[in-house]
Amino acid sequence: MKTFFRDKNRSAGYARDRMKLLLISERIDCSPQMIKQLRNDMIHTAKKYLTIEEDKVMLEVTQEPSVVHAYIPVRNKKER
Amino acid sequence: MSEVIVITSGKGGVGKTTTVANIGTGLSMLGKKVVLVDTDIGLRNLDVVLGLENRIVYNLVDVVNGSCRLRQAMIRDKRHPNLYLLPSAQTKDKTAVSPEQMIKLTDDLREEFDYVLLDCPAGIEQGFKNAIAGANKALVVTTPEVSAIRDADRIIGLLEANEIRDIHLIINRLRPEMIARGDMMSVDDVIEILAVDLIGTLLDDEQIVIAANQGDPLSGKNSQAEEEYKNICRRLMGEKIPFVSIRQKKGFLRRLGNIFKN
Repeated sequence: MKTFFRDKNRSAGYARDRMKLLLISERIDCSPQMIKQLRNDMIHTAKKYLTIEEDKVMLEVTQEPSVVHAYIPVRNKKER
Repeated sequence: MSEVIVITSGKGGVGKTTTVANIGTGLSMLGKKVVLVDTDIGLRNLDVVLGLENRIVYNLVDVVNGSCRLRQAMIRDKRHPNLYLLPSAQTKDKTAVSPEQMIKLTDDLREEFDYVLLDCPAGIEQGFKNAIAGANKALVVTTPEVSAIRDADRIIGLLEANEIRDIHLIINRLRPEMIARGDMMSVDDVIEILAVDLIGTLLDDEQIVIAANQGDPLSGKNSQAEEEYKNICRRLMGEKIPFVSIRQKKGFLRRLGNIFKN
């Protein structure tokens, strides 16, 4: 899963991002606004300790059992 | 080992019945003994897609109620000797059958057939519960549209909650030219969103409508859809058949077009 909000110029990218957010929220019974807030809070917390690639952070939820996976890419020392 | 496979989607009109008719026909052509069960009580359709509507005497509800024997209700397709249809009732409603009765029915069918394919009604109500009760595998049909994908996700959750974990996805009505210009979600997009195994991808193909009009699925027109239905059958039987990417297909057709132009 990529970021939630990319490539909105074409309808398919917009649809994909909407569906990802919607299905995550439906799977764990948590509103899309709260998911966005969760993502922002996680970025905020991670940034206190790490240099991260903020726009590549993604959340994913698997069903049965429901697990929230957070993908937070960290920048290497060399790249800084 | 016989398999009981439910074909479901949540949303209506995405191609469940067509999928059942084509995969059932394909499996029978590969030498498997197949029965197709229309579980959509009150809205029967599989019979017309198969061109067997004039041969119905008894139906699913009659069998379950004990008004007739299983053998009396099953219609044998004369064009495909290994293919049978158990039609739905047109006059009753979904409450005429219970999940327990469906389990009994599928257990009986398992004894005699290699594949039992269950055509599930749209929705998540009683009809859905009946259709999935006896199944050990599910094929979820969707299209690359937001409404169908949302319903497919809901269905996948319900299947898993009902201990059906052998779930495969069929993406129907793909339009390569729309995907190429970014106005239709691609196969990869849909898989990424739904996170289930893919078993087939079908282009939006006129031939499917024509075959249904004629009541003769897989009638040998060698359309792309027919080929892919046959591939799905082989994948169900455990063969590893690679997926041709939609873009590749398009490139191939374009190249072919160019050859003719030159």
